[in-house]
Amino acid sequence: MHIVLFLVFTTCLYVFCIVLSGLVLPQKLRPNLMYPLGGNGHLFSRIQELKQIDSVDVLFLGSSHAYRGFDTRIFADSSISVFNLGSSAQTPLQTNILLKRYLDKIKVQHIIYEVYPGTLCSDGVEASLDLLANDGFDFMNFDLLINTKHLKVLNTFIYAAFRKYFRLDDDFKEPKEKYDDLYVKGGFVEKKAKAYHPPKTRATNTFKHKANQVKYFKENIALIKSQDIKFTLVIAPVTSSLYSSYTNHDFFEELFAKQGTLLNYNPKFLDDSLDFYDAHHLNQRGVERFNRVLIRDFKKD
Amino acid sequence: MLFNSLDFAVFLPLVFALYWLSGSKKTQNLILFLASLIFYGWWNLRFLSLILFSILLDFFLAKKIEKSTDTQKKWLLYLSLSANLGLLGVFKYFNFFIDSFVEVFAFFSVQFSPTHLNIILPVGISFYTFQTLSYSIDVYRGKIKASNDFIAFGSFVSFFPQLVAGPIERATNLLPQFQQKRVFNYTQSVDGLRQILWGFIKKVVIADHCAVYVNMIYADYTEYSGFWLLMASVLFAFQIYGDFSGYSDIAIGTAKLFGVSLMQNFAFPYFSRDIAEFWRRWHISLSTWFRDYLYIPLGGSKTSLVKQIRNTFAVFLVSGFWHGANFTFIVWGGLNALYFLPLLLGKKNRRHLDVVAQHSSFASLKELYQMATTFLITTLAWVFFRASSVEQACLILKKICSFSLFNMTSSISLKPFAVLILLLFTFLVVEWMGRADRYALERLFTTYSRAVRFSFYALLIVVIGLFMQTTQTSFIYFQF
Repeated sequence: MHIVLFLVFTTCLYVFCIVLSGLVLPQKLRPNLMYPLGGNGHLFSRIQELKQIDSVDVLFLGSSHAYRGFDTRIFADSSISVFNLGSSAQTPLQTNILLKRYLDKIKVQHIIYEVYPGTLCSDGVEASLDLLANDGFDFMNFDLLINTKHLKVLNTFIYAAFRKYFRLDDDFKEPKEKYDDLYVKGGFVEKKAKAYHPPKTRATNTFKHKANQVKYFKENIALIKSQDIKFTLVIAPVTSSLYSSYTNHDFFEELFAKQGTLLNYNPKFLDDSLDFYDAHHLNQRGVERFNRVLIRDFKKD
Repeated sequence: MLFNSLDFAVFLPLVFALYWLSGSKKTQNLILFLASLIFYGWWNLRFLSLILFSILLDFFLAKKIEKSTDTQKKWLLYLSLSANLGLLGVFKYFNFFIDSFVEVFAFFSVQFSPTHLNIILPVGISFYTFQTLSYSIDVYRGKIKASNDFIAFGSFVSFFPQLVAGPIERATNLLPQFQQKRVFNYTQSVDGLRQILWGFIKKVVIADHCAVYVNMIYADYTEYSGFWLLMASVLFAFQIYGDFSGYSDIAIGTAKLFGVSLMQNFAFPYFSRDIAEFWRRWHISLSTWFRDYLYIPLGGSKTSLVKQIRNTFAVFLVSGFWHGANFTFIVWGGLNALYFLPLLLGKKNRRHLDVVAQHSSFASLKELYQMATTFLITTLAWVFFRASSVEQACLILKKICSFSLFNMTSSISLKPFAVLILLLFTFLVVEWMGRADRYALERLFTTYSRAVRFSFYALLIVVIGLFMQTTQTSFIYFQF
């Protein structure tokens, strides 16, 4: 009986302290409670804009490779209406929640799902924190908690529940421009950085996927198929030095290709120094070159 | 299976429930034995055969030893020693000896490339080997009767709370506990939970936090000034204490949940006033093991001064070597022996048998000075323990002793570092308050009302939730 009483008391105190520290302490003094409201990647602005949209020709899904790689303006110039629903380090787990939350609410002709083997190897913590802070709160957030089994996700979950319940984020206005990033209508984020100096050598590595991420990936594809939406899987360009440092791309390409049409823009599709601003992300020159080819391939398809 | 893993969070309550629902001593032991094998097999199923071999060998050899004549007894003991130490030697020291031979031959310009064993060190082998050795020796000495109950003996050797990193139990203490039925004791269980809680604070808040800075600075030690290298070494002192004594607390606390009492392994060693006191308070189960099975058989302190010095060095060097197959550990052991020497020569090694500032809340200036100097010299010795080679340790010490000791500039972010210092300070205050007990929380706030106690323990859980390092790390002593 005492143990039960203690557990109840501890749970209440824990929730109270998490909320209090979230409200009072600066981030550096509460390392296990992150609440990246309007954090890196403009997810908050993206979700707010998504809520105003009824239909699009193409919906993009995926990680930062997606929201930094598919420029909505270039697609609009080609008379294709698009929305970019990528988010930082988005893994199939978060994609699953976003699809369940929003796919019924907007009419989508085609989905371009950016797939990167790294997202299948991720624990999904970073993306979960991003989603908890910048999207609404519902029972699907429990999926994040159960699947990541991570203390930071638990703490952020508690704090997010409090903030959303008391509508503390309602007045939040995310600036369009921050940290060299410019948020562009439709969900794209343009980076101002221009060039990249790739390292001369990279240690070889292999991707080690997580079973639950593969399970969610397959579930996402099934969900898209169940809505009769056409889809294309895209492996967006990364620097050739990064791409070639991983030795087991074949396994993942086979896994992706089994699910549907796969377009892989690696390796050596673009120039490591001129078209990227870091190992993973394209600069604007790279985005434009990549998107022109992607639109050509998309129209062919 | 790590104590700080979700697997263990599921495993422990399950075993606890099964254990106390079982009716007899036999089923209790069987559950513990099977649970321990699962716990151990979680790392690597293949190594289960090693521990089972050790259990079987010593179980049957001890029975034989008990019934044999004096000469036969000796040979059977040698068989047990050589089999156990042989396994340890192959898995832990084979490659080290090969490399050392190669270096010696290379010195005489003889080059050869021998075969190395491509093996990983089985977790906990040093610990359970010493435990089974002590059993065989104690049976040989007639201190304990050989066990006739294989499951009870298997539970004693493989008891999961202390299997992989101690405390290294003696058969005389632990085995009799498995030979009778355990009865659930609420007070003991609550005490166990309290000790587990404090162990977790030590491990996931203190040790793992310190580890971030220690690993960062030691990995790139040429880039940091003497000041930051000293800081990293001080933090390593807390890391290894938090890590190992935290493990011990969780082990002892978990054992209490099963009605089993394990020996104390740490007694606030950083509140020691000299190095002799430090070694009476640090890794007590290993120190006393070496005292009983090496130091005393060599003559101990009841022999000539020269032999006493020899015995002291033998214990410290072997103890260093026990920690790992690297010269850094041997130097670390030798350095501690050197620290100990002046006390031995001046017959001052048994001066501080009590608790520091036993009858007051604060230490005197003299005691503070003694504790600070003891801490400093142990910290400098830890540099060898932490460094990857003797050369690296010497370079680090050289930098600490240079003028760069006064250079505090670095790229380290100071705000999170200040948080760590604050956590360490609070930790030391709590440890100081409980220094007369077996662990800091043992009696802290226990006389207060339930509301106060609950609030205190709950706050500690909040501290864990807010500050624990979320990257799951293994315990340092698992590698030994």
